[in-house]
Amino acid sequence: MSESKENIKIFTLLEVTKSIERTLANRYKSSYWIKAEMNKLNYYPHSGHCYPSLVEKRDGKVIAEIRGVLWKTDYLRINKRFQEILKEPLKDGIKILFLARISYNPTHGLSLIISDIDPSFTLGDLEKEKQETIKRLHKEGVFHKNQQLNFPLLPQRIAIISVETSKGYADFLKIIQNNSWNYKFFLHLFPALLQGDKAAERISHQLERIKKVKHHFDVVAIIRGGGGEVGLSCYNNYELATQIADFPIPVVTGIGHATNETVSEMVAFSNAITPSKLAQFLLQKFHDFSVPVQEAERKLKDKSQRILKDEKTRFHSEIKLFRSLTENVLNTNRSKIANTAASLVQQVRFRFKNEDGVLRDYVFNIGRNSNFSIDQSKLNIIQIKDKLFSKTENQLQQSELILDNIEKNIHNMDPKNVLKRGYSITRFNGKAIKEISEIKPGDLLQTIIFDGVVESTVTKTK
Amino acid sequence: MSETIKYTEAFEELQNIVLEIEQGEISVDVLSEKVKRAAALIKICKRKLTTTEEDVNQILKELDAPNEGS
Repeated sequence: MSESKENIKIFTLLEVTKSIERTLANRYKSSYWIKAEMNKLNYYPHSGHCYPSLVEKRDGKVIAEIRGVLWKTDYLRINKRFQEILKEPLKDGIKILFLARISYNPTHGLSLIISDIDPSFTLGDLEKEKQETIKRLHKEGVFHKNQQLNFPLLPQRIAIISVETSKGYADFLKIIQNNSWNYKFFLHLFPALLQGDKAAERISHQLERIKKVKHHFDVVAIIRGGGGEVGLSCYNNYELATQIADFPIPVVTGIGHATNETVSEMVAFSNAITPSKLAQFLLQKFHDFSVPVQEAERKLKDKSQRILKDEKTRFHSEIKLFRSLTENVLNTNRSKIANTAASLVQQVRFRFKNEDGVLRDYVFNIGRNSNFSIDQSKLNIIQIKDKLFSKTENQLQQSELILDNIEKNIHNMDPKNVLKRGYSITRFNGKAIKEISEIKPGDLLQTIIFDGVVESTVTKTK
Repeated sequence: MSETIKYTEAFEELQNIVLEIEQGEISVDVLSEKVKRAAALIKICKRKLTTTEEDVNQILKELDAPNEGS
């Protein structure tokens, strides 16, 4: 078939590819168990076949790559087992251990025809990856970061990451919006795919958007439900888990499955498991706020009423006590006054009696003493009278004697008797002449002698 | 009642007043004042439970803003 031209052998493309095909078929006769990373599943819905891109990486670089072929029937069988065992469908980015034979086709080239994939290998690998994610988050110190945030007292403004048409979201809304306590929530939906290959990326994107308006929200709720238990391995994605753990406001999850908590749920502030339980969790927070407020209202009412009642009672008993005390004091004082009055009367009587006695004594003494005095005075008077009598008598006798002497003297001194003895008195105009100057010749004089009067006229004076 | 007092503070203050009253640390002289205050706080808390003031349009506006809103 080959032709020659100037000693050079030339092959057709088909000859070459057929040769390769033959050689490979001879060399690789059986099937082999191969492990590789299925970078892309490349499922073609129309034909139902898959053409996975199989790679091996070292340090993040692709060091080997080959195309795989997974026929429709094999795909359906393997995928079913994957869903049973892994709770995950066959998908991009998983490590697989597969049975394949090497095939070469002149038009389609080299490929590995996959006849079986061991789900337990992938399961182990996913689990390993999950454990590594957990380890890494711990190592980086972000694992508990969201849980260490302060949960708002009232998680009222909720940024919801969900699918509008999902049953889980509907369940959540029903419980939250029809709550019988009239609790008011503000809900805003950030729609995102919640399972499968694209989920991690979509959720991440919405988390970024929420971050931008985080001051409008108290919590983020990731809600999924009704999707069964498959397609959840995206929640073990390191990037998504980190973003949740490191999110500035609490993230709560209700992604609705029971087995094997995913890393995203582990690092979330709280994992309610189902959307309904998440709704109840949020309502419970409202109760936790509302009940103490109602309690406070009741307690305040009760307590203040009791305080007032107690105070009133105390006041009444104070009044009672005051009354009885004052009555006591009044009674005591009253009896004191009565006693004092009585004793005063007694004392007065006693005093009167005493004074009466004293007065009587005085009267008696005065009587006695005055009688005595009078007697004494009488005696004195008598004595004085006697003395007076005797004294006056003496005085009289003496006076009589003196009078007698005076009489004798008077008798002797009587001018008649002097005249008798030859003396005379000459008078002019009735007056006795004692000086010669009193008369002049011619005056008529009277000279009195013992037994008569001589009248004469002055002839001469000398 | 102004919004200057946040509901968390209101809640906390209310709890404190209840505690004070329960422990009998409140005299009749301040009772009326405390009860009045507590009533106002209860009102704030109760209203918070049943109302919210978030505005969707504002959030959408901020989401569409080209740069980080905050």
